[in-house]
Amino acid sequence: MKKGYKKVERMTPAMRIIHWVNFFSMIVAIATGLYIAAPYYQTLIAEPAVDKYVMAWNRWGHFIVAIIFDVTSIVVAYLYFFSRFEKPYKKVLPTGKNIKEFFAVLVNLITLNRSKKFDSSHSDSFNTVYFTIFHLLLAFMLFTGLQLYVEGLESGLSSIGTWWPSMLHIATDWTIPFSHFLVGSSVQDATIMDVRIVHHRIMWVIIVWVVFHIYYQVWRTIFWQEGDIAIAFGGSKFVKEDKKAES
Amino acid sequence: MADDKIESVKSLFTAKSAKVETNKGEKYYENLYAQCRERLDNLKKIVPVSNNIKIKEAIEEEGVSRRDFLKWASATTAMLMLPASFTPLVAEAATLMNRVPVVWIELQDCAGNSEALLRSDGPTVDEIILDIISLEFHETLMAAAGHQAEKQLEDAVETFKGKYLLFVEGSVPMGLNGQYGTLGAKGETFIDHLHRVAKDAAAIVAVGSCATFGGIPAAAPNPTDAKGVMDVVNGKTIVNIPACPANPSNMVGVILHYVLTGQLPELDSLLRPKFAFGYRIHDNCERRAHFDAGEYVEEWGDEGAKNNFCLYKMGCKGPMTFNNCSIVRYNEGVNWPVGVGRGCIGCSEPDFWDKYAYERPMANANIKAPTGGVEKTVDQFGLGLLTAAGIGIGIHAAASAVAGKKDKGEA
Ligand code: SF4
Ligand code: SF4
Repeated sequence: MKKGYKKVERMTPAMRIIHWVNFFSMIVAIATGLYIAAPYYQTLIAEPAVDKYVMAWNRWGHFIVAIIFDVTSIVVAYLYFFSRFEKPYKKVLPTGKNIKEFFAVLVNLITLNRSKKFDSSHSDSFNTVYFTIFHLLLAFMLFTGLQLYVEGLESGLSSIGTWWPSMLHIATDWTIPFSHFLVGSSVQDATIMDVRIVHHRIMWVIIVWVVFHIYYQVWRTIFWQEGDIAIAFGGSKFVKEDKKAES
Repeated sequence: MADDKIESVKSLFTAKSAKVETNKGEKYYENLYAQCRERLDNLKKIVPVSNNIKIKEAIEEEGVSRRDFLKWASATTAMLMLPASFTPLVAEAATLMNRVPVVWIELQDCAGNSEALLRSDGPTVDEIILDIISLEFHETLMAAAGHQAEKQLEDAVETFKGKYLLFVEGSVPMGLNGQYGTLGAKGETFIDHLHRVAKDAAAIVAVGSCATFGGIPAAAPNPTDAKGVMDVVNGKTIVNIPACPANPSNMVGVILHYVLTGQLPELDSLLRPKFAFGYRIHDNCERRAHFDAGEYVEEWGDEGAKNNFCLYKMGCKGPMTFNNCSIVRYNEGVNWPVGVGRGCIGCSEPDFWDKYAYERPMANANIKAPTGGVEKTVDQFGLGLLTAAGIGIGIHAAASAVAGKKDKGEA
């Protein structure tokens, strides 16, 4: 460790595991999701249809990562409020302190690090808001995705019983009118296609989110010189001792 | 209108799955059988109101054999999800179809549903039955016009008050106080016309996508503010039989169910009879194996098309459309869209023209961006968003590199 620098822990092992599980799930979800939306490669294996199952495998992969996302989302939602390490919700409450910090970080970004008037040792308000937006988008993807999934179980039966589709209907039917509202229409009656359109568009929003997320973390690492990028791997970053004392 | 909106949202929140109970237990069917028996006996006593055509004779005249008729009866029994023991009742009900008066009005539409059941070279049993039902009023089909027609409608409504089934074909133009559509010698608007005839109907059956969800007249930009019947008429029992055109089998199914049981069939959250709309096209499609295998028709007439591959990439909307086309098909089971090698366009779903019928996968479709303005494909919209973000990041990165202030590495 460099002299004058202090190591601060920012992500627990559990948080890091979630981060990378989400990372890989996301890649799989996007690759398979794009295929499901419009199959972009052709099946060339000269074998009867029953043997290749390409679309079916894509859908299978998509659903499996969806379930993984479900589980990590529930854990994240729990940690959001009850984590013993750091409760993110405290950073998004619109208190004077949080709002001030949010804008201080934003100004830091816009002024290209010429002004840096906040404590960068722990998770700041800006980052937490950004993190929250991601999880809201993800939650919406999960609800719309499950609605699209239960749509195909119109018999009301499933391999694990009737409770599963019934529960999904209760949990996700609201996405139909909500998506209809988002997409807009010349017709009064909502249709399940609205859910499909919204599900697909939000994917693009999430991709944009990821692009900025990666850029911003790299940018912080380069300009702040505090090793921010290491948080996702080793769980900690480094801040100057004096700075820490100052704030 | 705000109330309607709230109502429709509410009904969506309380939406039940399209689950259809195909076996409701012996007891239930015994009761139902007795009930139907009694109803049919009562109907028999009624002298047919205006036409005295006998179904059996009509069918023979059209060259359909008794055997075909019975085949039809057992198929229809199955379609209505009744046990096979009901077949004789269904056959009997078919002969009593002219005891239930039907008033058919046409609003903003192409008369395609009327056409569907009239214009086939070999009429099917369904079509013959629709021909001989007691059609008390049908603007397109009757000889009378003007004041005479008006009178006939008034008479029908008066005579059969509370007893007739009202079939509505076509959407209701709500714009300009309804001035987009008027009819009759008095220039009555479609809205008033519908309300007047709906008031005394036993139930309303909206046939075709226009009457159910607005259909093509309601496609963007919906100049006439077209709406489906259920969004205009309140406090009436409404059955929706969407599709463009509605399948005559499903129309007969609903009437027959009514004649037989005196009740309307079980409906889903969009008021469609579950016996017909409880199935997804895709789940009963003969090309489904090719879908799962990832074998798609890439363009019209290619190798895939010759081998009956799945039409998903040509825009088939079977995976998102609920209808029984893939089971009952059209023209007495002869064929259906996917069977002839073109995709489903989702004609029985709300807003089908804008959101289903673009004949390419949704991801490549021209669906309006949320901002309303320009039509963009969903993926172009996404790439646009990504490009904008990329440019922003590029500028920021370049500016940072040139003018950014790096914190000193050393203490
Ligand atoms: S042709 Fe259409 S309905 Fe049939 S399997 Fe393909 S996508 Fe599904
Ligand atoms: S296959 Fe699809 S488009 Fe064709 S009639 Fe049936 S629901 Fe309509």
